[in-house]
Amino acid sequence: MHRRTAIRNLALIIGGAALLPACMQEKGKATVALKNVDINAEQETLVGDIAETIIPKTNTPGAKDLDLHLFVLKMLDDCYKKEEQQSFMTGMAQFTDAVKKKYNKTFADLPVKQREEMLLGIEADKDPKSTALPKELKTFYGIIKGQTVNGYTNSKYFMTKQVVYELVPGRYNARFPYKQKQSA
Amino acid sequence: MSANTYDAIVIGSGISGGWAAKELTEKGLKTIMLERGRNIEHIKDYVNANKDPWEFPHRGGRTQKMIDDYPVLKRDYPLNEVNLDYWASDKDSPYTETKRFDWFRGYHVGGRSLMWGRQSYRWADVDFEANLKDGIAVDWPIRYKDIAPWYSYAEKFAGISGNKDGLAILPDGDFMPPMDMNVVEKDVAKRLKDHYKEARDMIIGRTANITVPHNNRTNCQYRNKCWLGCPFGAYFSTQSATLPAAMATGNLTVRPWSIVTKILYDKDTRKAKGVEVLDAETNQTYEYFAKIVFVNASTINSAWILMNSATDVWEGGLGSSSGELGHNLMDHHLGVGASGRYEGFEDKYYFGRRANGFYIPRFANLGGDKRDFIRGFGYQGGASREGWSRDIAELNVGGAFKDALTEPGSWQVGMGGFGETLPYHENKVTLDKTRKDKWGLPVVAIDAELKDNEKKMRIAMEAEGKAMLEAAGVKDVQTHSTNPFLGRGIHEMGTARMGRDPKTSVLNEWNQVWDAKNVFVTDGSAMTSAACQNPSLTYMALTARAANYAVEALKKNEI
Repeated sequence: MHRRTAIRNLALIIGGAALLPACMQEKGKATVALKNVDINAEQETLVGDIAETIIPKTNTPGAKDLDLHLFVLKMLDDCYKKEEQQSFMTGMAQFTDAVKKKYNKTFADLPVKQREEMLLGIEADKDPKSTALPKELKTFYGIIKGQTVNGYTNSKYFMTKQVVYELVPGRYNARFPYKQKQSA
Repeated sequence: MSANTYDAIVIGSGISGGWAAKELTEKGLKTIMLERGRNIEHIKDYVNANKDPWEFPHRGGRTQKMIDDYPVLKRDYPLNEVNLDYWASDKDSPYTETKRFDWFRGYHVGGRSLMWGRQSYRWADVDFEANLKDGIAVDWPIRYKDIAPWYSYAEKFAGISGNKDGLAILPDGDFMPPMDMNVVEKDVAKRLKDHYKEARDMIIGRTANITVPHNNRTNCQYRNKCWLGCPFGAYFSTQSATLPAAMATGNLTVRPWSIVTKILYDKDTRKAKGVEVLDAETNQTYEYFAKIVFVNASTINSAWILMNSATDVWEGGLGSSSGELGHNLMDHHLGVGASGRYEGFEDKYYFGRRANGFYIPRFANLGGDKRDFIRGFGYQGGASREGWSRDIAELNVGGAFKDALTEPGSWQVGMGGFGETLPYHENKVTLDKTRKDKWGLPVVAIDAELKDNEKKMRIAMEAEGKAMLEAAGVKDVQTHSTNPFLGRGIHEMGTARMGRDPKTSVLNEWNQVWDAKNVFVTDGSAMTSAACQNPSLTYMALTARAANYAVEALKKNEI
């Protein structure tokens, strides 16, 4: 990877909200430079829509605000084996087909309720022996789910605004009182 | 006196090398410390130590490139994004595995003192007497009373936090105030004590993290980022503790990039006169001379240096006349343990990241306990609250899922065993002259495996772990027993053992090589047996004791 590209990717991932000038984005290409997997703009949008369904924007930022989908793609590109990357791509096509078959629409055109229904359907197919859904589709979704949550819970936003984080705690309190938060 | 002549040479700069350098320089010896790798300067070179988790591109994980570059390191937790630079390159420094042996190395100033686990336990007489009583291998030439004052000496300087628990199997030391157990750990400890009628204990780990300021070092800040290097100097390392003390004497020279290829042996005086060094950057060869040589290159590499030395006198190298050099390789076998869910204390959490856990000292084959194997094992573990893991189908995506990610999950208690490995003559390292490293040097071949005693012990480690957690009220207890291979304990020991007889041991009671009395070996290779406690504190004590003896002997012209 070229140094400049690497820095740009880092800025995207670390900065979270860093915005790219529109001129840097070629039409039809993904916004994130990848070495090992070939993702086009439409596919990037799909990954973004799935990540956003998992971690939606509520009164706090969602997956797209935090560029979690770009983190998912970065992890896919650097940290997964070739076979897993291939399964991801195959699974993506299977996912697109399954959505089309079930709703006769693209995932992008589905309302939130149906997007959630689609993903929960995959979540429900837990048994590794089950053949209800193709295994590549489950790999595709599993990688997005795992890395979206990884990226979210390790984001600066989450760690500093949603939970308590100090780089230097300076102390260990072995009996810290905890009260369950009232969920919004 | 030529520019390359010193009073003492120390080979290696890790835990024991740093101690040797400190002790020898403080006693007035002009000393050179030779380190095969690069320099790492305290604080300045801990490049990742102040990064937040989100600053790592892969959040600390491992990339495929890292996995390809580190074929050995990838086998266990050490391969990660946050301190990759501290681990030696498997490709530059390959070795031959006659049997699988996971060798995780640190080739830089400070060695593995930068990445070590910091758990620091004294051995007891039962450990020093074990070989004699069991009639295996050879007897340790020392007993607890010989090393006890040196344990105190090492603890006071290194800074070991711990509780005085008053246990015969794990003698108390000169401790700083202990870290705290959290509410669940305290409850589990109490239940275990009650259930086993005080025959088993669970104590807070004794760790080389200081809990009060000490020698210009700041006390532990509960970051749990120790293995990145501590900007506060809060855990013992060469850089935080022994190196500054040695430098302060004005007697120390540190030479990084210095691979010691052999000890230069003088047949006439029957002593070492110095060492040969290959400069790892320039490939030039140098010689350094001194009255005494301390070998602290880490267990397997110390054996490698000795095997490469004085081969014109002894075919197997310096210290091989006993036939034991390179043999009796030990480690602690691990990868066996238990974990489960603890119900209760939902209204309690903890704050701060404690770089420590609990310790369950050995109980097997002690008191009335009798097993189908000899020796025993201890456990290290901890209780913590996990993140979101409740599997409620309709909450797995969306706003409610997102909210739930901020709520702590249930308490989990987990622990893993550290088992004693016996010293088997046939578990050994040898030179593999058919294979060369990046510098054209022959590599080591490692041929070691767990045997029946360890395999039986592992069954007990798994069963007892489950039984104890269940006795403590822990629910859904799961056990694991994985990868029964040596090396991954990163506690290599025994390749130049101490003993009472030059015919059966490489070193005497003062860590002197029987065949060259001015050569001292005080790293893990000196260990006659392995016990089950983490060994580094014992290396520190043995090194300080041997250095004191060496300087006295020099004064009396005995060496």
